[in-house]
Amino acid sequence: MDLGEKLEILADSAKYDVACTSSGVDRPGQHGSLGSCAAAGICHAFTPDGRCVSLLKVLYSNACSYDCRYCVNRRSNDRPRATFTPRELADLTIGFYRRNYIEGLFLSSAVLGSPDRTMELMIEALRILRQEYHFNGYIHAKTIPGSDPLLVERIGLLADRLSVNIEFPSENSLNQLAPDKNKKAILRPMGQIAVKSAESRQELAVYKRAPAFAPAGQSTQMIIGATPESDRHILNLTEGLYKKYALKRVFFSAYLPIVADEHLPTLSTRPPLLREHRLYQADWLLRYYHFSAGELLSEEEPNFDPYLDPKCTWAVRHPEFFPVEVNTASRAELLRVPGIGPKSATRIVQARRLQALGMAELKRIGVVLKRAQYFITCNGHTPGHGTRAEIANALLDPKAFGVGVQQLSLDDFTAKPLPAAAPAVHELAAHGMAADQAARLVREEALTCLTKRM
Amino acid sequence: MPYQANVTDTAYHYDGSFPGFLCCIFESFSRREIPAAVCPPEEAQMTLFGVREIATDPAHAQRVAAGLDRLGAVVRDRITTGFLCTDPGKDLKLLRFARLCFDLGPRAAQMLGDADAAAAFAIERAVTGEAHRYIEFIRFEERDGMLGTVIHPKHQVLPLLRGHFCSRLPDEDFLIFDATHGTALLRRNRRVQYLAMEHYSPCTDEAELNWQSLWKRFFKALTIEERRNERLQMGHVFKRFWPDMCEMRPDLPVAEESTHS
Ligand code: SF4
Repeated sequence: MDLGEKLEILADSAKYDVACTSSGVDRPGQHGSLGSCAAAGICHAFTPDGRCVSLLKVLYSNACSYDCRYCVNRRSNDRPRATFTPRELADLTIGFYRRNYIEGLFLSSAVLGSPDRTMELMIEALRILRQEYHFNGYIHAKTIPGSDPLLVERIGLLADRLSVNIEFPSENSLNQLAPDKNKKAILRPMGQIAVKSAESRQELAVYKRAPAFAPAGQSTQMIIGATPESDRHILNLTEGLYKKYALKRVFFSAYLPIVADEHLPTLSTRPPLLREHRLYQADWLLRYYHFSAGELLSEEEPNFDPYLDPKCTWAVRHPEFFPVEVNTASRAELLRVPGIGPKSATRIVQARRLQALGMAELKRIGVVLKRAQYFITCNGHTPGHGTRAEIANALLDPKAFGVGVQQLSLDDFTAKPLPAAAPAVHELAAHGMAADQAARLVREEALTCLTKRM
Repeated sequence: MPYQANVTDTAYHYDGSFPGFLCCIFESFSRREIPAAVCPPEEAQMTLFGVREIATDPAHAQRVAAGLDRLGAVVRDRITTGFLCTDPGKDLKLLRFARLCFDLGPRAAQMLGDADAAAAFAIERAVTGEAHRYIEFIRFEERDGMLGTVIHPKHQVLPLLRGHFCSRLPDEDFLIFDATHGTALLRRNRRVQYLAMEHYSPCTDEAELNWQSLWKRFFKALTIEERRNERLQMGHVFKRFWPDMCEMRPDLPVAEESTHS
């Protein structure tokens, strides 16, 4: 099998892993080695599904000896199998990296025989990269659940970021869908990585030359929509993971049915992309906006509103918090205003030291006022007077009603609901209604409903 | 604000160089006036105002440069980076911003509610934004051990690419050709120079084409059809970058060139 074919198979098998960022470490280049890292991460391409390609994301092997029900690579699934050699993988990484195609490597693998053997091969590939080729770019490695803690330690000294996928939001779902895996085998390395990284950071603070263990921290990923957990359950779990294991990121992956199984949604199920989007929005609120999971969802409302982003939902539920005076409010208060993000909030706080801010100034600063205007005052003046219906209209998330022509084939120019449109829009369209009409109808209903709530 | 007190109807014409631009700031400062326009040679014919030719005097330029240095890195970078912008009218905006900073001190850079400060910020961002896109989207090809590429930027981004690629490829020789402005950044034996250059012929070396085809196969394999969303893709990689990116070029000269605008 030629290298191109292997690459195709092993990239195709890895593509459902959603994490592809190269963020978290800043490392300048050095003579004698190849590469550097930028803390913010760098994307190098965007696929036709709109996702960023930052790393050479491949499996070391897709010849799995496990049989997880949801996975294309499961043992019992009939598909082409391939396995790299450590050298092939290292050469491929260097070749792509020098051409500025990628920021580095994201290496994961199916279980090739046993978890330990798989990890040893992955480690060998990374060893060649780091020690023989002096590769100084980004490496993200996924540890294989059930492998020896010593191997986890070795791979952590070669990689910038490690991840252990928790796969599903609950133990029940995990047991049902991944019979060869168990919660303990997943959480143990997570705990080990958290402890090791913290130790390594301390050592580095004392002596600069101490070996760095996963300096970009660890992340995890879970599949949503294949199992019955609510958004609230998922978000609480996410918050807990950030706290307990000091994770850098939690990724969500909308379940895409690739194999038929009685325990899984049917093959015709659409991936819940809007739900995935809402979870990411909420995740941002946790990480950058000082929200807690408990503020965003409750027992009575355990799921996100498809038509409204989580921050707007919170604002609508908390009229007593508003208006916020832009000339005096704290940064944290500004961050609660729909339409004001971390950058705008910082700029507002800086700019107002030298001048009073009115609407014109806010516009120049680059604050998007479409939503914000109804929630702020500028020196006591309310910039936006709107009826409840007008405000509701500004708050609805256009993403939920997206319709457009996709270039799947060259002769099909009928508009369709975009992949992340609300399920209601997809459903009406599936029943034969024209997409834009479906979107309009659903939006009108959402608008009426929201206006009533305000 | 005092620096705006004397807006004249005189246009400054200068030679288009950065020292020349600094001399425009000097002129404006010493005459206590704000010109109505500041024109490099390529914009000169468009002015409706009375014209004053501003000669480039290295001593004056140096005094202004030292003044900008004293205002700190944020102000200085906003002006030096902003100067790489090729939007017409950027010169006057940057001059007004410089005057604002000389009046109010370094903190003026954060006064984004002010029209001049906001304009200068936007100019700098246009340039750094484009440079960042090239840091992401440049595709090198290798021939005879040397990496090379051609780009078509709006702004003069080469000086902003230099640091990144020299740090990332510390022991490589490389060339980045800016076809829009006819200049190239050449790094050879760890030394960097800017050259005038006219033409770049793409590599036809078989080993190189093989790497490009590997990359394309990888790129294709990554796409998840069920999530296809080309609007999103185009929002991230504007079409004007596509011709210089091998994975975005159609495989066959005839087929596939899509019909959307
Ligand atoms: S271990 Fe399970 S999830 Fe991982 S590749 Fe094998 S079958 Fe798929």
